[in-house]
Amino acid sequence: MSDSSPVALIVDDEIQIRRFLRAGFELNNFIVHEAGTGTEAIRAATLRPVDLIIIDLGLPDMDGADVVERIRSWSSVPIIVLSVRAAEAEKVRLLELGADDYVVKPFGMAELMARVRVALRRQMRAASGEPTVKIGPLTIDLSARAVTLNGARLALTPKEYRLLQVLAQHAGNVVTHQQLLKEVWGTTHVRDTHYLRIFVRKLRQKIEPRPDSPRILVTELGIGYRLAQPGADHEAGINGAAAAAGQPQ
Amino acid sequence: MPNALRFDRIRKELRGIFLTLCLVGLATALIELIVQQLGLTRGTVIYLIPVVIAATRWGLVSALVAAVCGVMAAAFFFFPPYYNFHIRDPQEVINLILFVFVAFVVSQLATRLKRQLELSRQREIDMRDLYAFSRRLAVAFDVSDIHAAIEDHLASVMQRKVVLFAGVREASASSGRRAGITVPEPVLAEVAEAASGHRDSTTGVTVIADNGDVWLVRAVSPRNLEFGVIAINFGRESPERTEELRLRVQAVLADATATLERLGVAHAISEARMRSQTDELREALIGSVSHELRTPLASILGAATVLSAAPALKNEKKLKALANDVRDEAERLNNDIQNLLDASRISSGGIKPRTEWAEPADIIDSAIERCRRRLSDRRLVLEVAADLPLVHGDPVLMQQALVQVLDNAVKYSAPGTQITVTARAPEGRLIVSVSDQGSGLTQAERGQIWERFARGARHAATTSGSGLGLWIANAFIAANGGTINAVSAGPDLGSTVTIELPVTQPAVPQMESDTDE
Repeated sequence: MSDSSPVALIVDDEIQIRRFLRAGFELNNFIVHEAGTGTEAIRAATLRPVDLIIIDLGLPDMDGADVVERIRSWSSVPIIVLSVRAAEAEKVRLLELGADDYVVKPFGMAELMARVRVALRRQMRAASGEPTVKIGPLTIDLSARAVTLNGARLALTPKEYRLLQVLAQHAGNVVTHQQLLKEVWGTTHVRDTHYLRIFVRKLRQKIEPRPDSPRILVTELGIGYRLAQPGADHEAGINGAAAAAGQPQ
Repeated sequence: MPNALRFDRIRKELRGIFLTLCLVGLATALIELIVQQLGLTRGTVIYLIPVVIAATRWGLVSALVAAVCGVMAAAFFFFPPYYNFHIRDPQEVINLILFVFVAFVVSQLATRLKRQLELSRQREIDMRDLYAFSRRLAVAFDVSDIHAAIEDHLASVMQRKVVLFAGVREASASSGRRAGITVPEPVLAEVAEAASGHRDSTTGVTVIADNGDVWLVRAVSPRNLEFGVIAINFGRESPERTEELRLRVQAVLADATATLERLGVAHAISEARMRSQTDELREALIGSVSHELRTPLASILGAATVLSAAPALKNEKKLKALANDVRDEAERLNNDIQNLLDASRISSGGIKPRTEWAEPADIIDSAIERCRRRLSDRRLVLEVAADLPLVHGDPVLMQQALVQVLDNAVKYSAPGTQITVTARAPEGRLIVSVSDQGSGLTQAERGQIWERFARGARHAATTSGSGLGLWIANAFIAANGGTINAVSAGPDLGSTVTIELPVTQPAVPQMESDTDE
């Protein structure tokens, strides 16, 4: 971690994209490093400590997935991937390789900042060993294995709790169907998405204030689920993101 | 397997001889009966019967056996001195000559007849196959259908494995494996030679593969390479048999190409190829142009959002509104480009659904979320039934289809009007419908809206759009096995677009017991 401002490494071969990302991040009190190729990115990530990596998938010299995999082999730094739409399989692959989140191009700065904030907060929580995750009215105490809604303790079945636990450990970030199925049901059921659907339905009945329009356990179509982060909905302005981004200092 | 063949022939011959001997015995018994009972002498001409039967049925050898045995039996039993092979009567010598002569003539005639019968039967089969072949050609839809027809025709006539290569490119590209048939490397090399016209392949070239199989490689038609090159696996055969098969292939292909030429297939193939190349080129152009357009768009949109939130513009309302305009227009442009990309993906057959069990409520929810800004000045009413069944399909495609339908509803209705989204599941189906209070549809428009680039004449002047939206929605829903329909009470009376998807129950073994372990 840096002394004053968090350091973001931006990896994209398009100079215009790097330019607006730099402006956006600097407005939010980040120190920005840039890389135009995968090789440069790996070198930059090893040379100086970074708090966050934003990486485009279409790099000229190597597959973005390879860069993610290489960096993940020694570092747990939050990685957010920039990808195009209609590449769900690619997104799933990257998330499973260790990317924290993805943003679909073209995107607005506020949307990216919201994701950045979530990723940084998760990193901070992992570092501090904070055992509780709070999302709106819902509190998940990972050490006591207790879930409360508006202060009232919820009765969850073991599998429901396990599902919520896995999501809470990645609170704010996407967890893919395969990851969830593997964690909760074991490796033999990674294709059985209907298990997941039925349990998510049950879980939503218990934890969502309005189960038919879920705001806590959110679906990422074709990819997986995420547990929303308090105040992290996409309408949140850049200023809110800046406050959060400042926290890991 | 020449040994097995020879053995088989000897066995057949022996069987003939054995049956012949039985017949001679029968004839002897018959003559004995006549001589004894009726008192006739010289009934020995009856021995001609076994000779004729053996000649027609079992061939020359059996017939000769019948002739000799007949004469010998006659000498033994019926000519004095009885029970002795001594021949005293010249009548017997004449009998022997006569019998042998009959045996020769009848067996020759019978063999020729048999061969002719076989030939005409073979011819009949060939004609039937050829007829089936031309019938298949008549319904062939594209070049690959024609090639498959040639391949199947040859395979069924020859009873051998046949692989057809459409051109040089295919010969080198297909890594030696087609339709479950492995084509060895040397054969592929020969195919490439033949396809590029370097071989005079009127007769074809035989290649012996590493495993001993004999392959014949030749152009389907030596005059017209458009028909492709075939490789036939003859199996392990002797050189004579290979030559026989090669001639047969030649005959079959001569018939087949005559049919192809009569139907003008060569012309059709080259025309189809040219047309598909044009289509490919157009789609590739749309694809790459759209992609090139999108890259700068990402910068424009990103920069606009940074600008609109910049502290310097905090108190500059007008400038901030400008930055927002840039953002909104860039977003709209992005949607149009996405539609073009989707359209080119659809027409190039690039839609590959990633199926999974999906939650219909999630699909609807995320489609509405994506249209949130566009829907902001309409009254949105949601009527989603509880406990909808899961659907098996690609949730992203279904969501994109629904976004197009919602977008359409917004486009053709006035601000402040109501848009209703309902979802219900009557038996075996999931029905999602979007109703608006907009400009509705005329009878003529209802038939047109599903076409590519369809734009109602009533709206062309007032609303913008490419006319791709519903066409894309239709393709995406069809890719998931569903249907999409539109009804309207008439112009300006609103319209309802209904998406219908099939529902099958997932197998959920012991789900309930899993819950309470």
